[in-house]
Order: sequence, then structure tokens, then C-alpha cells
Amino acid sequence: MAISFTLNGKPQSVDVSPDMPLLWVLRDTLNMTGTKFGCGMALCGACTVHINGEATRSCVTAISSVAGKKVTTIEGLSADGSHPVQQAWMEEDVPQCGYCQSGQIMSAVALLSKKPNPTDADIDDAMSGNICRCGTYQRIRKAIHRAASMQTGKAKSAA
Amino acid sequence: MSAVVPRRVFLKSSAAAGAALLVPFYLSGNPRVHKTSGSPSSDSSSSFLPNAWLEVSQDGTVKIWCGKSEIGQGVRTALPMIVAEELSCDWRRVQVVQADLDPKYGDQLTGGSLSVRTSYDNLRKAGAAAREMLISAAAREWYVERSACRAENGSVIHLSTQKRFLYAQLVTLAAGISPPNDPPLKNPSDFKLIGKPSRRTDSFAKVTGAAKFGLDTRLPGMFIASVVRSPVYGGTPRHFNADEVNSAPHVRAVFEVKSAHLTHQFGETSGPGSRNYSCAGVAVVADSTWAAVQARKLLKVEWNEPPSASESTASLREKMLRLASEPGAVIRSDGDFDKAHASAVKKIDAVYEVPFLAHATMEPVNCTAHVRGDSCELWAPTQIPRAAADAVASALGIPRERVKVHVTFIGGGFGRRLIQDYAVEAALISRDAGAAVQVVWSREDDIRHDFYRPAACHVLQAGLDAQGHLVSWRHRGSSPSIETFYNGTGISPRAAAQVDSLDFPALFVPNFRLEFTVAESSMPLGYWRSVDASGNQFVISGFFDEAAHAAGRDPLEFLLAALGPARKIPVGNAETLDVGRRRSVIQLAAQKCGWNEPLPAGRGRGIAAAFGWGSYVAQVAEVTCDGNRGTLRVDRVVCAVDCGTAVNPLGVKAQMEGAINFGLAQALKSTITISGGQVAQSNFHDYEVLRMSDAPPVIEVHIVPSAEPPGGCGELGVPPAAPAVANAIFAATGKRIRRLPIRAADLHPG
Repeated sequence: MAISFTLNGKPQSVDVSPDMPLLWVLRDTLNMTGTKFGCGMALCGACTVHINGEATRSCVTAISSVAGKKVTTIEGLSADGSHPVQQAWMEEDVPQCGYCQSGQIMSAVALLSKKPNPTDADIDDAMSGNICRCGTYQRIRKAIHRAASMQTGKAKSAA
Repeated sequence: MSAVVPRRVFLKSSAAAGAALLVPFYLSGNPRVHKTSGSPSSDSSSSFLPNAWLEVSQDGTVKIWCGKSEIGQGVRTALPMIVAEELSCDWRRVQVVQADLDPKYGDQLTGGSLSVRTSYDNLRKAGAAAREMLISAAAREWYVERSACRAENGSVIHLSTQKRFLYAQLVTLAAGISPPNDPPLKNPSDFKLIGKPSRRTDSFAKVTGAAKFGLDTRLPGMFIASVVRSPVYGGTPRHFNADEVNSAPHVRAVFEVKSAHLTHQFGETSGPGSRNYSCAGVAVVADSTWAAVQARKLLKVEWNEPPSASESTASLREKMLRLASEPGAVIRSDGDFDKAHASAVKKIDAVYEVPFLAHATMEPVNCTAHVRGDSCELWAPTQIPRAAADAVASALGIPRERVKVHVTFIGGGFGRRLIQDYAVEAALISRDAGAAVQVVWSREDDIRHDFYRPAACHVLQAGLDAQGHLVSWRHRGSSPSIETFYNGTGISPRAAAQVDSLDFPALFVPNFRLEFTVAESSMPLGYWRSVDASGNQFVISGFFDEAAHAAGRDPLEFLLAALGPARKIPVGNAETLDVGRRRSVIQLAAQKCGWNEPLPAGRGRGIAAAFGWGSYVAQVAEVTCDGNRGTLRVDRVVCAVDCGTAVNPLGVKAQMEGAINFGLAQALKSTITISGGQVAQSNFHDYEVLRMSDAPPVIEVHIVPSAEPPGGCGELGVPPAAPAVANAIFAATGKRIRRLPIRAADLHPG
């Protein structure tokens, strides 16, 4: 039976087994490979996407539970890498191997939507579910602070 | 060049790369013009390919090929910078292209922190040759002397008239110029790119999800395979319920995958007694990853277990402790340890232990293969595409030239992707499935079927004279041997040893003895970022700190006193240990961290230093530690590095930061244990690695300015991190850490 949801702002319908995790629907059914497989048990955060704005581990999220909801993946953050968090990541030269960074960025975006000016403790709390084996943690912290100031600066100038 | 190359294997590959440098690879590929037919609305365009490494197009872009694998270490930035520097092109117009396996790129092995070191001269010449050809083309066109022209930022300029050709305008003309045999290289003082911080060329792809890793390979008609491998290395399937699994939804095939010998890892001999083979198992081939994973759950396999099914962490530990307590093969002996130690005024001894470790790259092991008749195409996240081709050719019984290897982005290497078991497995499965197949390893597969950093035990003794000078040092180590695993049991004790004759404090203690005994083990073994040094530096720098405290001296002062004055010590193979460079990184790290500034109670500072891969490093860790509560936090790590010419200082800093966090994972988190010959851990809940909340708030990296040739940076930063933390814990609490990972109970006083 087809399951319908909104993917990166567009209606999407898939006809797959209802227990198939969203991760594999994205990667295998829809060929959207920006969201990564890392552990399959919600332990590493590489598969993080947003469901109705909440950072969610797609590797343990059955597609049936996504019906009618809004899913955002790394491909949906911006068309051209212009999202402030992506910009901050490039300016701080965060990625090394880069494999975990889709998930890191999605977690960071969700954090900033809740806490526009997070403390280091807030970052530790929100980001400790995302493993980076290359060890880019210090740069991720800096990039989140940079993105926060870019976003609040933008909000101020808009006000 | 430094002496302490991590392993002889890398010395071998280094030597091979050195030999390759004798061949003018910068000239490989005949100069030519490449014509592409244009779209109906535009003219056809041409591009100039002076050699294998670069292409100048008429639209002004310059493509530069990266001959090494990008595993996060930044070769797709640093290596093209070297070409672009000598080419004098506009860095903003450079597009980096990953080279597939091709002999024209020379040795494509990515390991041993060798990439920049062994590519530097060659890539400079490649860029310089092209630049000279472009200058010649312009001079010929202007009817002027070459010496009247200069190349600058993508143009050739006629100096007296300031006439200028863009490189893009010279594409066709330059192809008619013979490449110079020995193009002049720039004076380093004229460098515009090398030595200047450059952001990575691959960040955009990696922050937008566009980067294609091995696991992102998608081919028409491709199936996905999941493999149940023997829980004990060396086991084989005796019986399995193929029919039942075959009838599961979307399953295409279920069959046995035989173990295959892994040839030509580093040109090892694979002599008698070698155990380097891929794991036998049962493959489930299905339409999607989820279908394969679900069907795999139905699979019931009975295994023929090898005798090694009795091995456990406890039994191996007992063996290693016994062997390290007895005399072993002498790897180095200076002076007379026994005599000097007998007359020492103060003596200390200790036992140190480190566990097996898995690599746990974030991208789980995978490979995509398509076998068609007597040919095979691989999309492989591999650190040695040549070895992948060799091993696959051997397993399939086809000529190596019939194996094509596409190198993908790689989600972490750390040495795991030096071993080509996963490529062989994918090729065998594709052959038997009769289709393109991507083999996806689960995280559990990855943790349980790795080639592990060996566990080890070390027994050390040291003696001090009445003035508190270190006069005697004996280090006896025992562990399973990586070299024996790949080369067989016929190699010499020195070749088999997991210690190096230049391990500190060799050369700096008059009576020094280093011994090693191989502890037989059934575990598959491999190269883990910094290889032996990852564990040995913890042992050595920890025990050296013990000696400093036994002497009642400040560890920094004791270390510098032991090193003595700046000088160069020849250490064989035309290599030199530069004590001055070694001292300067230690002094810089100490100065930048404020070594002599007091810390409040419960906090401590520890120092450790290492050299190797052509580079020198020192790190100071600051910790807050409460032994009663068993809490530990690494507050800050200050790192000083001398890697000779730092081609991309931003990349060097990133490598040090990453290596420190990698070393801290070993210090604080990770362990692999075995029971019944099987690995006990399976995923990130029990094979723990460093997380954001564990990562020090501050890592400072200070680079020593240097005009020496580039040294390696990928591994260098790992070894000092754990001992710096352990020594800081001692400074904070008086508790000595002698085994990894550090457990809360190890911090408890008393």
C-alpha cells in the first residue's frame, strides 16, 4: 500500500513494506543518498533527518510512521549549500571524511531552531548522539556558534 | 626524514614509492589536446593535457587529478595545491578529479602518512612541466625569448610589453611543445599556495549530501547483498537453510561465499603460516538493503569451527603477560642493561596493557562489484586500489588488467581499507549472483569482522643513578604480530616484532634493551592509525613519566634533559633523528600551555611526544579528575607539530585535532574483547568511541615554521594523546594509569 508524506517540501508516495525504515526508503527506493547509514540502531546519528522539524534517526523510523508528515533531508536544507549551517560548516572547514556530516548538520539545524544561541553545554547535549570518527567535534562546536550568530544577525537585520 | 616509520611494511611501500619517483611520472601520459564536440549552439572546445595530472581547458578551468584516496585526510586539497602552485594557475578555477586505478598515477597506496611526502616532488614537476610548456607556447607565438616571459595566476606575461595570454588561450599551442625533462621548480619563497591555509575542495559536496561514498554507488539492476560471516575467524559454513531464506520477499539468491587469500597487500610474502584471507560466510542477495537485512535474519548457519574457537581475552592476556615477563628476541641492546641496572640507585618497574581495537570507520565496510565474463568492475572505498585489483583478479582467476577500480569518496580509513577482503567478497558474490552487487556490511559485521589493532602487554624496568639520571631501561613486549599474520611464521623475530629498534628512549639511555615475543593468536590483525605506536607510545611515555617522578624531577625538564642538546643522529637507511626538532616541539607545546603555571587541586597536566613519518609532535593534556567519583574530563590539549613544509596548514591542524580525538577514544572508550574466539562487541553501544560530550573544549595546534621537506601528518597526532592524558591524571591525582581504556575504577585512590 502506498505511503504518502512530504519530502523536502514536495509530495512523495512510496509503495514499500510498511516496516521499512525511512533511511532505506530514501537511499534505496528514492536514490537519495545524502542521508547515511552508520549503525542501524540509532547510536551514531549519521542517518539524522527532520520529521515535522524534529531531529530523528531515520534508520529506526518505520516508513509507516512517517505517513502524512513532513520529512526534510540534507538535500532539502538548501538547493545550493546556502543554509547558514552549511555555510558555517564550510567556513570552519569542518568535514574530514564527511560521512557523518549530513547527520551532524541536520542535528545542528534542529538544535538552532530550538535554541538560536546554544551554549557549549547545549551543543554537547544535542550533538552527542552524532559520532564523528575523524574527530571534528571542536570545529562542529565553532561552526554551530558561527551559524547561530549568522542567523541571529540575519534576524536582527530583518527586524 | 625521520627514522621511526611506523612499520616495516610502510618502509617497503615507501621504498617502492621512492623507486617510482625515479620514473618521471610527471611526464606520464603523452601531451595532447583533447577535443570535445560542442553543443549545436557553441563551438567545439579543446583542452590541454600535458601529463596525467592536469588538464587546462579553453573555458579557463583546470582539472587536477588526485592519485590518492580521500579518506578525510585532505589529499583532494593538499595534492592539487602542489600541482597548482607550480602551474601558477588560478586556484579558484581548479576542479579536483579523483583518479581511478591507473599505472600512470604511480603508487596509489594511501597509507603510512605517505601521500604528501611521496607525491610532493613529482606533483611539483608535473605542474612545472605544464607551466614551462605554456610559457614556451606563448613565447613562440610572440616570437620572443622564453626568458622574457613569466607565468602568473593562469596567464603567461611578456614582461617588457605586459602582453598576456590566458592559459586558456594557449591550449592548442602548448600541446605542440615537448615536455621539459627537468622543469625548473619555484623557489619556496615565491610560493603562493603551498604553506598558505586553504579550505578543503570537497566541503561543498560533503555539506550538501552530494559526495558519493562507496555506499552511495547506484548501478542499474544492482542487487544488495548482506553476508553472515563465520563468528570465529577461519570458520566455514557446514549447513544453512538456503531454501527457506530464498523464499523470503525480494530475495534473489542465497549462497556460500568462500574465504579467499588476500594477495599483495603491501607486497608481503604471504609465506607459510600467514593467515590473511577474507572471512567465509553465507550471502543473501536481494533487491534492496532492507530486504537483504530482513531475509538474513531468517538464515540459520551451522559452522565448522577452527581450533581457535577456544581463545579468549583472558587466555591471551595470561599468555602475553607470561611472555613479556621472560626474555624475548632482542630487538636492540645498547650498553649493558643488567650490569647498569644492578648498580642503579633507584629502580622502578611496571606492567602496561592495551586491548585489541577496531577501526569503526563511520562508513561501514562495503564494496560494489560487477563481474562480467572475465572482467570485473569495482566501485571501492579502498586505500589501495591496486591491491583490490590484485586480490580480486587472484580470487576470480582473471588477469589483473581486467579489473577496473573506481575509487569513491571514503567515509574514514584509519587503515581498515588497506585490507581488501571486502572487495574480494563483493567480486565473488557478483560473479555468483550474475549481476552488479553492492555488499553492505552492517555495523555489527564491521565491528566483529575487522582486522584489529593487536592487544599487547609490556613489562618495563628502569634505573636511576644518584643524580636522578636514567641509566638503565629494559622494555619487554608481547603481542600478536601483524607481520606474521600477513607474511607467515618464517620471518625473523625482528621483522615480527610489534616494537621498533628506535622506540624511545633508545639512543638516549646508555644501557637500553628492547625485547619482543610474538604471542600466537587466532585474531585477524591489521594496521590501525599509527599502527604499533598507537599503543607503544602510551607505554613508553607513561613509563618515562614514572621515571621522572621517581627521580623527583619535573617531567618536562626530565624529558628535555634526557634528549640532550640539539643534534642530528644518523639512524640508518640514510635517515636522521633531529633532536633539535624533537626538542623544539616539546618546548613549544610546553610554552603554549603554560607548563609552569599552577593548576587548582584536582587538575593536572601531562606531556607526551612522538616522532615518525618524517615529522615531530608533542602534546600537553590538561585534565580535571576526581578519583573518588571516578570522573575524568580532558579540558584542553595543546599540540605542537613540526611536519617540515606544511603544504596546507589548515589541513595539518585538522589532522592533529582529529588524531587527538582518535587517540582520546583509545584512551577513554574503546576496547575489543574476545570470548570463544568471537568478538564480544557489536555496535557503538559496546564498542564506544569519542562523542561530542567527551571531546575537549579546546584543542590548540601550533605548527613550527619549517623549510624541511614535507613530513606525514595523518597518524602522527594519535600516539601522544593517550599518554598525555594518563600523565595528566597522575599529576592531578597520583594515580598511575597502566592500561587502556581508562576505567573509572582505575582513577580511584588507594
